[in-house]
Amino acid sequence: MNATTEVDVVVIGGGATGAGVLRDLAMRGIRALLVERGDFTSGTSGRYHGLLHSGARYVASDPISARHCIEENAVLRRIAPATIEPTGGYFVATPDDPDDYLERFPVACAAAGIEAERVPLDELFRAEPLLSREIRAAYRVPDASLEPWELVDANLASAREHGAEARRYTAVIGFEHATDGALTAVRVRDERSGGQTTIACRAIVSASGAWAGEVAELAGATLAMSPGKGSMLIFNRRLTTAVVNRLAPPGDGDILVPVHTVCILGTTDITVPDPDDAHVTRDEVDSLLRDGERLVPGISNARVLRAYAGSRPLYDASDIGDEQQDESREISRAHHVIDHGRRDGVGGLWSIVGGKLTTYRLMARDTVDAVAASLGVDTPCRTADEPLPSPASGTPYWLGDRLAALEADGGGNAELICECELVTQRRLDHALDERGDSSLDDLRRTTRLGMGPCQGAFCMPRAAAVLDSRRPGAANASLRGFMAERFRGTRSIAWGDQLTELWLTAGILRGTLAVGDLADPPADAPEVARAAS
Amino acid sequence: MPRADVVVIGAGLAGLSCAAELAERGIRVYLAAKGMATTHWMHGGLDVAAPDGARSFRDGIRLLAAKRGHPYRTLATAAAPAVSTHLARMASAGLEHVGSLDDPMRHVPTAIGSRRPAAMVPSAQAAALEPWAGDGLLLIGFKRYRDAWAPYAARNLEHARWRGGPPKIRAIEVELPGLNGLHNIAPQILARMFEDAAWRARALSAIADALPAGAWRIGMPAVLGLDAHAEVHADAERTLGHRIFEMASLPPSVPGLRLFEALRRRILTLGGRIQIGFDVVRVERSGHRITAIHTEAASRTLRIAGDAFVLATGGIGGAGIRASHDGTLTERVFDLPIVAPPRERWFSDDPLRPHPLETAGIEVDANLAPPELENVRVIGSALPGMHYLDERCGDGVALASAHLAAHSIARARTVTA
Repeated sequence: MNATTEVDVVVIGGGATGAGVLRDLAMRGIRALLVERGDFTSGTSGRYHGLLHSGARYVASDPISARHCIEENAVLRRIAPATIEPTGGYFVATPDDPDDYLERFPVACAAAGIEAERVPLDELFRAEPLLSREIRAAYRVPDASLEPWELVDANLASAREHGAEARRYTAVIGFEHATDGALTAVRVRDERSGGQTTIACRAIVSASGAWAGEVAELAGATLAMSPGKGSMLIFNRRLTTAVVNRLAPPGDGDILVPVHTVCILGTTDITVPDPDDAHVTRDEVDSLLRDGERLVPGISNARVLRAYAGSRPLYDASDIGDEQQDESREISRAHHVIDHGRRDGVGGLWSIVGGKLTTYRLMARDTVDAVAASLGVDTPCRTADEPLPSPASGTPYWLGDRLAALEADGGGNAELICECELVTQRRLDHALDERGDSSLDDLRRTTRLGMGPCQGAFCMPRAAAVLDSRRPGAANASLRGFMAERFRGTRSIAWGDQLTELWLTAGILRGTLAVGDLADPPADAPEVARAAS
Repeated sequence: MPRADVVVIGAGLAGLSCAAELAERGIRVYLAAKGMATTHWMHGGLDVAAPDGARSFRDGIRLLAAKRGHPYRTLATAAAPAVSTHLARMASAGLEHVGSLDDPMRHVPTAIGSRRPAAMVPSAQAAALEPWAGDGLLLIGFKRYRDAWAPYAARNLEHARWRGGPPKIRAIEVELPGLNGLHNIAPQILARMFEDAAWRARALSAIADALPAGAWRIGMPAVLGLDAHAEVHADAERTLGHRIFEMASLPPSVPGLRLFEALRRRILTLGGRIQIGFDVVRVERSGHRITAIHTEAASRTLRIAGDAFVLATGGIGGAGIRASHDGTLTERVFDLPIVAPPRERWFSDDPLRPHPLETAGIEVDANLAPPELENVRVIGSALPGMHYLDERCGDGVALASAHLAAHSIARARTVTA
């Protein structure tokens, strides 16, 4: 089976950058198709800490990046308010943080255009009573908390409105070249049906982040990526109301981000050879907690729900070709658009590497500027002007809204499948109406199913039954995949209450329900073998 | 200030059974627990010993007793009297069981449509046991009851290679009367409703109307009454004209609640005292003996003195053993030494496989006494060396260790007297 499709541009990668590129292309009238090997937002974008940077974190180490962050921070608040909780943020100086940094910080913020207001300590401790009383100085900055799944979905929805298409579980398996080496088509495989398609195109954007090296190699180009694994811990509640950063050059365990009902402590930075390496080591957990103690004393005894890691799309700067240097002077060190035609003789391929989720739109703009020019399109970028489609409420997700909505309609026919995150059967049905091919783990990204303290012990079998009613035979593999995915994130933090919770989960799933004994009916629509995590 | 002959800490099957047995021997017991235990979670059948390859529970005990470090090495001989005492205790509370240690190992279907090994179950689960002898399996779910998944379970069971199983499997979902306005219905709510004879008649009539023709054994959610369970079950079988078995699903487990209630009443009837809801916060020790525990209580701590102490706090699952973030395992009441695998080997990679950490427990001698403490006995899942889920031996070890501990405490008291 080998069907052929034709578009102007194929975008590889369904994270924030790829979705942003797709939207930008579509808004400029360029026919584009995005392919993602797993679920949308299942790679680095879905595995980040949830911080919408003000840029203050980079004022000293990377001023260009800092300026990008504060500019995009303002843009996103304008175009995507429903994905942002305006928590605000603090930079706090602990006794371990260098004096000279404390002095330089406000000056550097001012230079980058970031408002940083000194906060009296008594005010800080009133607002954030769990913070260490050893903190000796604090600044308030416009950090916020950002929901990546909704942001990516909104970009994809906007791109579709402008005529673009996005396919998940579609892996790139090869490219076709013209005699001059230029790429003319992408070969992809549907990870569920196994069917292959050739997509003829005039240009290809690799927005595959930490995996960009692998994509480039498949196309016959070279790109030395240096993926940086960042590990994070999720606590069962908010320990602070605002984002808290250490007033020091970026390091491990120095940011705490309140996200929905939980908070996230991040991050480590370890160079790993394999971007798929999402294993959080005990050393990383220990190091995060040790550093977290400097911000919130006793944090080691707070309940950790899970640990997870993402792969930063860092590239080896020495590998960026010389001929690029001149024209890239204006391009930030933070992200980099690479024209593989000029650099490697592989025409029609651009890679976008580096950058941060906060600056995804800017990365997309710079990339599409380059691609559009090569296609002879001079329509300007409008992604900063036109708001993204937002959920009906138009406000950031808040658990209480779900409860209020349930109460407002008297409960209706709305049994709770996931009690931790108030996910009703109706919400699951709706998510499956939208994307009928979803696995339980995909449903998690859309609904927050299984993301609360019990990590799926109660909702997994319930949701599996719902999935079975929609796609007979598909539920068991999905259930096992979801169990494996939830377990990966809890095993490295299995102590205290969460270990007892894990034993309760095992008692239910292995003891009472004997899930290991389940025989698998033939599935109408097979799941993807490789569960995206 | 309470004083007892024996203080039992923990209210799972082990703690309750031990307290009941001590009380039956005329010993004054005080049972203190920080909360409800595994009785409230589990399927209600008795997991005595069903490791892979066991042909019967007795065979399972033999296989497990051969494993180095397994609790059955010292408990194997206590298992038979412990189990028969338990069954008699249950029967006198109206909770009849079927099966024996020598019955062949069989399978019962689970709520999700897998099968678990079973050889000893409450009467209300007996119809689930093989052989099916030509009867079909009809799974019944209730509309808007989110913890019964009859169509899903039926689909899974249809594809199970089930020797001696039913020739046909069907699932129906029935709308029970009077559930309008109720949401997120917990099983004990339905169990109470089934005890109301008038409502039950309407509910059974709704089920009867939905029954397909044929010879069936009916599997339905485990909600057939609490106190009046035997009567409800019998009435349902009579009215529907088919044998009915209950299938436990997500916690809380109604069969477990019945078990808990039967043992609780037994202890209270015999003069024992039970206090649930408070942690032990301090212990008093004199040489090699514990003399008292202090529990949290309303606005003060409560000192409970005793001659002997039974620790039935359930290991990691019952939070009697706690891990800290640095990997240290601590026994929370008496700070007893723990036997556990090294931290690097705590978990297997597959959440469906047994984890080495499950074998963690409190070091004990052949009399279930921890080192250096002569008047303490450790029972139940706090004992080391077993994978109680995969070996399906948790209930058997709980009963056998409770029996042995009660026996050894009673004997020591006789000798002292």
